Amino acid sequence: MLLEIKNLTKRFGGLTAVSKVDLSVRQGEVRGIIGPNGSGKSTLFNLISGVYRPDPGASIAFDGKDITNLEAHEIARRGVARTFQLLRIFSGMSVIENLLIGHHGHIRYGAASAVVGSRRAWAEERRVRQEMMELLSFIGLADYADMPAGEMSGGQQRLLALGRAMAARPKLLLLDEPAAGLSPINVDVLLDTVLALKNRFGLTVIIIEHILKVVMETCEAVSVLDHGEKIAEGSPAQIRDDRLVIEAYLGKEMKDEEVRAFLRSA
Amino acid sequence: MTADIVKNTEQRAGGGASPSRRGSVHPIVPWIVAWACLLPLPFLLTNAYTQYVVNVICINVILAVGLNIVKGFAGQVTVGHMALAAIGAYSSAVLSTKLGLPFWGAMPAAMLVTGLAGAIVGVPSFRLEGAYLALATLGLAEAVRIIISGTDWLGASLGYAGIPPPYLAGIALDDYRSYYYLAMPLALLGLYFAFSILSSDIGRALKALREDPLAAAASGVNVRKYKVTAFVLSALYAGCAGSLQAHMAPGFIHPNSYTITEMITLLLMVVFGGIGHIWGGVIGAIAVTLIDDLTRDYLQYRMVMFGAVIVLTVMFMPSGIGGLIDDVLVRRRFKAIRRRRAGVASVVAADDV
Repeated sequence: MLLEIKNLTKRFGGLTAVSKVDLSVRQGEVRGIIGPNGSGKSTLFNLISGVYRPDPGASIAFDGKDITNLEAHEIARRGVARTFQLLRIFSGMSVIENLLIGHHGHIRYGAASAVVGSRRAWAEERRVRQEMMELLSFIGLADYADMPAGEMSGGQQRLLALGRAMAARPKLLLLDEPAAGLSPINVDVLLDTVLALKNRFGLTVIIIEHILKVVMETCEAVSVLDHGEKIAEGSPAQIRDDRLVIEAYLGKEMKDEEVRAFLRSA
Repeated sequence: MTADIVKNTEQRAGGGASPSRRGSVHPIVPWIVAWACLLPLPFLLTNAYTQYVVNVICINVILAVGLNIVKGFAGQVTVGHMALAAIGAYSSAVLSTKLGLPFWGAMPAAMLVTGLAGAIVGVPSFRLEGAYLALATLGLAEAVRIIISGTDWLGASLGYAGIPPPYLAGIALDDYRSYYYLAMPLALLGLYFAFSILSSDIGRALKALREDPLAAAASGVNVRKYKVTAFVLSALYAGCAGSLQAHMAPGFIHPNSYTITEMITLLLMVVFGGIGHIWGGVIGAIAVTLIDDLTRDYLQYRMVMFGAVIVLTVMFMPSGIGGLIDDVLVRRRFKAIRRRRAGVASVVAADDV
């Protein structure tokens, strides 16, 4: 198992955002996480990536090592990259600088080299810029390398956020609603890019998504959260027919046939 | 004259926004050219007062570039920069008079002390942001000034006199003309280091802190380490500038040179010149020092004027003069892309025919 979460709980005052969640993700898997708004999906990501500390008693193991109480930057350096629901790209920096920050943990030259502007620092800068330009071409933004990231369109910014996460050369990629707000065509473009990146770099991916099409078509397995608890897990086909999931998403009043029709059409 | 230098070096440094390092000329070369061009300046200025103003400009350039690192690049709002300069000035003064250290020992030691103080000023930034951080640093800064004003062995409110001038190859740099040959190369060196640092991975990490600390951490940037780095770097600049102030003729420093008024003047340099733009800091330092000097007959209205300029700059030119320069460069790049795309499109169209 690449990621092994046990008994993960997070309380904010009286609210239990995530409650006793266990989650195991295999190397190379694409896992979907779904659930209604406020079900704790983003909190789960924030706990895995170190933005929040889990409540005592939890354990998160990544790649065989415990990362439960590490700080966000340490977790990132071990190979967990993520995107944010609200993107959080560095809008005042250029597109390529965004990627270079993603690559930060891999840039090797000392502070002294940087201060005096040594040839070594230069050579390294030139090398990583080259590398990032290749990644930019891969996601189709090479033309915009020197543009301020904030001047890109919404769709391009989503691609850039994905690129920044990929620049870290992660083993595990956490995507928080990567397709939110995209037009259907762009959703396809983004999904193709994610799958291409996954195959090329042998990634493991966890996707939070509300667009069911994305989850059903891309993910090998789906976990469902509701009120911070994991209520179901299985293949997309199994989840599609799960009574609890349907209730969580659509309420208890709907008839089964209506629900199935809705899910199939999605 | 300075404008020429700015132009020469800007081509190499790429205007500060995203310095690209191409070509085979070592990046230090344009700086040496700049140094050579600036050498005859004091001999073009016959009067000692103008020579003094030029030295003050050099010192203010160092101060403004240092403040820009922490405020403009790392985005940490501090108003403690002049207090750090005061710590640099007084450390250098004490080390050279009480311990008899020569300038060349006192200045690095004073920078070290200021660097440590900078790390302390940086600690509140772990938890505070924006206006709150500004208030915390203001408190620290005022504390420094008041402690100096009340400490007898630091000259208290009478000021600290008798600081010896630096000696270079046995010659005392005790007039403004000779002091220029210390202040100007140090200002250029400080600028060169600032460019190297800010175009490196360290500089990018600082900018990422300014843009979004959470996203920076998720990208593997150690946020606390880089916050302290920013404060210490800027403190080293302040320490160097303070030491230069202390040892310049007549070798006298006074706590009143480090009040909030001076801090606002310094802020004006950075804001007017362009936050997050190194050349902006230089332009601002030159412009504000000159304006400050030309309007010295109207001293009582100075703060009104500076306040108005800060407000107007923030309203109508939020990224300062440096930002205007950046805008022009960015727009030109946009046009280049559009032209390239249009070119491709027309080739495709021609193929279709």
